[in-house]
Amino acid sequence: MNLDAMRTFPTDEIVDVVVVGTGAGGAPLTAELAKKGLSVVAIEAGRHFALDDLTPDETAAVEINWMSERLSGGDDPTTFGPNNSGRGVGGSMLHWGAFTPRPDRRDLTLRTETGEGRDWPVDPDELLAYVERVEGDIGVSGPTPYPWDPSRRYAYAPAKRNAPANLVAKGCDALGVTWADAPAAVLTRARLQDHHGERGACVNCGECHQGCRVDAKASTANTYLPAAVAAGAEIRAEAMVHAIELDARGHVAAVVYHQNGVDVRQRCRSLVLAGGGVETPRLLLHTGLANANGQVGRNFLAHGATQVWGRFDEPVRGHRGYPSSLISEDMMRPADADFAGGYLVQSLGVMPLTFSTTLVRGGGLWGPELMQRLEQSRFMAGIGINAECLPSDDNRLELASETDEFGIPRARVSFTAGANEKALDQHATAFMLRVMEAAGARETMVLARTAHTIGTCRMSVDPSDGVVDADGRSHEIPNLWICDNSVFPSAIAANPALTIMALSLRTADRFLSSAA
Amino acid sequence: MPIENATARGAAPVTLYLLHALGASAGSFDRLAERLDGRVRVEGIDLPGFGSLADTTDSSLETTVDHVVAQLAAHARGRWMLGGHSMGGKIAGLVASRVLRGEAPLVGLAGLVLMAPSPPRPEPMDEERRERMLSWVADGPISEQDAETFLEQNTAAPLDPRAHEKALADLQRTSPAAWRAWLETGSRVDASAEVGTLDLPVLVLAGTDDADLGAAAQPGLLASVYPRARFVPLDDTGHLIPLERAPEASDAIAHFVADEVLLGPVVPEDWAALLAGDRVDSRVRGILNLRAIPDDRGYAPATLDLAQLTLLREIADLVVPQDGPAIDIAARVDAQLARGEGDGWRNAELPPDPEAYRAGLDTLATIWPTDPATREEVLRAAIEGTTDAEGPLDAARVKLWLEDARNDLVRQWLAHPASMARLGYDGFATGGSPIRGYVELRLGRREDWEPAGVGGTVAAGDAA
Repeated sequence: MNLDAMRTFPTDEIVDVVVVGTGAGGAPLTAELAKKGLSVVAIEAGRHFALDDLTPDETAAVEINWMSERLSGGDDPTTFGPNNSGRGVGGSMLHWGAFTPRPDRRDLTLRTETGEGRDWPVDPDELLAYVERVEGDIGVSGPTPYPWDPSRRYAYAPAKRNAPANLVAKGCDALGVTWADAPAAVLTRARLQDHHGERGACVNCGECHQGCRVDAKASTANTYLPAAVAAGAEIRAEAMVHAIELDARGHVAAVVYHQNGVDVRQRCRSLVLAGGGVETPRLLLHTGLANANGQVGRNFLAHGATQVWGRFDEPVRGHRGYPSSLISEDMMRPADADFAGGYLVQSLGVMPLTFSTTLVRGGGLWGPELMQRLEQSRFMAGIGINAECLPSDDNRLELASETDEFGIPRARVSFTAGANEKALDQHATAFMLRVMEAAGARETMVLARTAHTIGTCRMSVDPSDGVVDADGRSHEIPNLWICDNSVFPSAIAANPALTIMALSLRTADRFLSSAA
Repeated sequence: MPIENATARGAAPVTLYLLHALGASAGSFDRLAERLDGRVRVEGIDLPGFGSLADTTDSSLETTVDHVVAQLAAHARGRWMLGGHSMGGKIAGLVASRVLRGEAPLVGLAGLVLMAPSPPRPEPMDEERRERMLSWVADGPISEQDAETFLEQNTAAPLDPRAHEKALADLQRTSPAAWRAWLETGSRVDASAEVGTLDLPVLVLAGTDDADLGAAAQPGLLASVYPRARFVPLDDTGHLIPLERAPEASDAIAHFVADEVLLGPVVPEDWAALLAGDRVDSRVRGILNLRAIPDDRGYAPATLDLAQLTLLREIADLVVPQDGPAIDIAARVDAQLARGEGDGWRNAELPPDPEAYRAGLDTLATIWPTDPATREEVLRAAIEGTTDAEGPLDAARVKLWLEDARNDLVRQWLAHPASMARLGYDGFATGGSPIRGYVELRLGRREDWEPAGVGGTVAAGDAA
């Protein structure tokens, strides 16, 4: 993204909006508000990466991840860092997997359907209309027709199916399970992106999680942020917000961020927090704002993301190609379910260090068995899930006594899978084992994992029961908004980025109509 | 261009490419090559303007570095070292830095051997001496008389007749332009920023009777450039080490190679070729070249104490058993902790990583058996959370810490290019311009550029 001609605002000017975070939550809204003529400054903790800065080397590629330590507790501590946390202009969309299932409308009304979880205070049709807009804005590839939604159209042909996808397809066929090429925000032919330039077609390098070096994978850095800059927004990188100042009425008047070794104050009329399910609540808890009802940090959600790996006779080498090029939505509401909600299924290819971490942490391996599995890894194909997670008051984010490099207390997240998560995981594990066996796996291995950081500042109609209202506005501070996955009332099974971006466009519209 | 030196022969596990001094040639290393035969294969490289390349007109530092890189690209295979004498030492440093940044089509550099090297910074040289030496080429090639003067000034004792004769001939055939280029420019260039700090095994030989580049001066000139340098003074030796002290220099090189260079795994030849090729971006090649450098056998831990590091090494042997030449993954984890690098989180029950390692190791140390045969059982109990050890961490925390430690150890192992080759992972070779990924994604198939070791058969024409 070329920032040479970017408009800049003096810090003593009262800008209309400060947005904290440039990922899926912050960027679409920044672009929308700037297009409407508002003065917008988006503040990003991480640095700006050029395509040439990105590297396929897994160890070095963590520079696009949030590596400042977070503490993880509970019975099922969730993994942060490269697993789910981004840092840089573009946020987690620099490292995301680009898997873009649409949110299932049943998931948005789970409470009505099952009596469990929460309904979203959002009209599913309205949200899905925004989802389609996002797909057009960023470029999504996928199969047409889409088996579970025949009316759906994708603008780009699906990413090339890799060996794990073909094996999972074989297993699904044998079991009568419907599968399809996965919807992915990965271009399969070049595209001229407005205000950005040409984005190349996917070269099947398999290194989406290390950052796409050909711009085939959509991030906000190659879509909404260039549009925002063209519309007059300013992006301030390597700036860590650590304080929020209120005026006499208790409205936000300014934010204070640390940049180049000094504190800078930016005055603003409104503030939008879009730091994600960990950084947004951390900042609010640190500043003590918008939390009179004690809801900030509560109901942390993580998707169940258990994997099953099968060993095959021939080399699979699943590091080649778009990693999760097959999807099945057949398990969104399995007939024999003893749980609320459901799960999405995807095929898995993997990079070696990521796989070794899953073997160690998820499989408990060490010694000769670990080495044997690593030696066999090229013969392995995986299948994984993204599973519903119900809100629980026991799962929450709090501040630790220890501080980070900016003097801000570190986040401490506690997560324990509940009965519904366990029942779902059991069902999914059995299903995935059946698929891999039907695909011809010589042996299988189950590796436990969770993914994504969701919840902690949920939307609620009842002001006592959440942090923001159905528009994304704080129940307490009228010019404070939150626009990221922290507002999700429930996890929903779909991988979150597409939904976050849709919500971001919606929040922008709500913001504009509230000001009108 | 062929490498002139013909003394290299026999199969040795490592080759040492040597760059000669001002006015010398590859032949100045013949005696080292003879002495090291069977232990280290020595290859001298003639530099532009000298020896067989005396007719070459461009002798600038840049051209010389390019020339050496090209020679190495044509010849260097497997594990190899680079070295230089005097002027050649500065060039060796420049070439090595380029290799370790990945900016040369080269992999396998495992150490440096420097003899009375000119440093990356401007060479300390008496101006009067510089002027006098320049005057020798004012009217053409160096005369026999001036060459004799040069040898006399640069040796502690007269050379034996054969060496003397060869050195005289090399001086006299030196291109006057090359002589001038070094004295006027090359020796004065400050290359310290470009060379930077090169953390690899380095042997520095220097004579006690040498002046500005002698044994007393070298640590001050090089310690910050080569933190691992082993400085070996040679008594009663002037500047012309390869000619004056071939036996002593050879022995020092042989010891150095055995102690510091022939360690750890070697990247297989076809994988090395892939790494050196244009499918791999410079940055990636540089990262992998650094990781392939032999570990420092005398590594001084930065986070742990020596006893803790020793125990971590013993744990590493059980967690990540390496059946060939081993990578010191425990030391690499210690260095990682010292750099403050983790994986972005830790279990809330544990203290920060460095403290957790120290506490965990101290806890395990209380019951760690001296008998290796029983260690596995002790570790297993600790990994499973049932250790009897009583120390700073309780059994539950020992288990949590060991999950982190196992993960760190295996990731350090896997980050080494030889491990990637072993696992058949060639995803690092998805670079170049334009970037090339994979065309063939199917089960049991590979592309023609991929090493055969990845498995599968090369796809016939239908793949693309």
